[in-house]
Amino acid sequence: MKKNSIISDWLAQNGDPEIDQFVEKNLAITEKVRNKLILKGWNNGDLAKAMGKSPSEVSKWLSGMHNLTLKSIIKMERALETELIHCEPIKEFEYVFLGMIHGADDFNKKKADYTASSEMSEYSLAM
Amino acid sequence: MNNFAKIKHINSFNLVEYYSVCLEEDEDVSLFEQFVAKHTKENKEKLNHILSWIKWIGNKYTAKADYFRNEAETADTSALPPNNPNWEPNYIEWNNETQTGETNNLRLYTFRANDHVVFLFNGDVKTADTAQNCPNVKSHFKMANTLTRVLEQCFRNHDIKWNEEQTDIELEDDLELNW
Repeated sequence: MKKNSIISDWLAQNGDPEIDQFVEKNLAITEKVRNKLILKGWNNGDLAKAMGKSPSEVSKWLSGMHNLTLKSIIKMERALETELIHCEPIKEFEYVFLGMIHGADDFNKKKADYTASSEMSEYSLAM
Repeated sequence: MNNFAKIKHINSFNLVEYYSVCLEEDEDVSLFEQFVAKHTKENKEKLNHILSWIKWIGNKYTAKADYFRNEAETADTSALPPNNPNWEPNYIEWNNETQTGETNNLRLYTFRANDHVVFLFNGDVKTADTAQNCPNVKSHFKMANTLTRVLEQCFRNHDIKWNEEQTDIELEDDLELNW
């Protein structure tokens, strides 16, 4: 059977990257909450109790009807003892390649010659 | 009256294969392509949410039942977006004046054969509490249930077979669905 890519083609031609990213992140956060609830053997009511919220409010949070705030995500993180959003560590330094120095070939050749000559030389020590 | 349809491949993602069916009178244009063509014009953002949802579950999570809503009447039909309390549609039509939101009322009827194979049919904007009472989606809902029943029978008859890993289906190119 001929394979098609009708959805991928539509998204490439017509898709809004913002919507696509919203769906991706929304799914990722809800999937993490869902997996953590399963691991803990909790339901939505247990999560609500742990956060001091009403079950209906928590259902709303997880429903997509509610635009989750950072504060509500953090409340869920603390109740579930997990990180729903990871913060990248701050980099103190980073090695950057600045390119080759012009004439480096000559330098490398001299370095190689010197290394070879010093390896081959025999020195007698004056007593 | 006998009706015929053929299966058409729609898209492969990392974890899910999506198919649709072409009714005899529509030749090579599948029900899903009709859905996309219509709602690209009329409901592009809502369609975008559903297609992105299909893509992301296909690429990262598999087609678990939780990601779909149950629309079974005479067969195991489902639909998108989902309605599980944890998985309400993630498309919001937010009204700034009233500060209230509506979920995505665009429906795409589907048959989730397993976590890795899904058939995508047609759908429309749902305007009533039940699909049976909605003039827009009723025919799509009925057709999806009929096609689901026919496809389930094809699996039982081994006209459609699973591959070894049960991650895709195998069938003759000229297989006709009859009802």
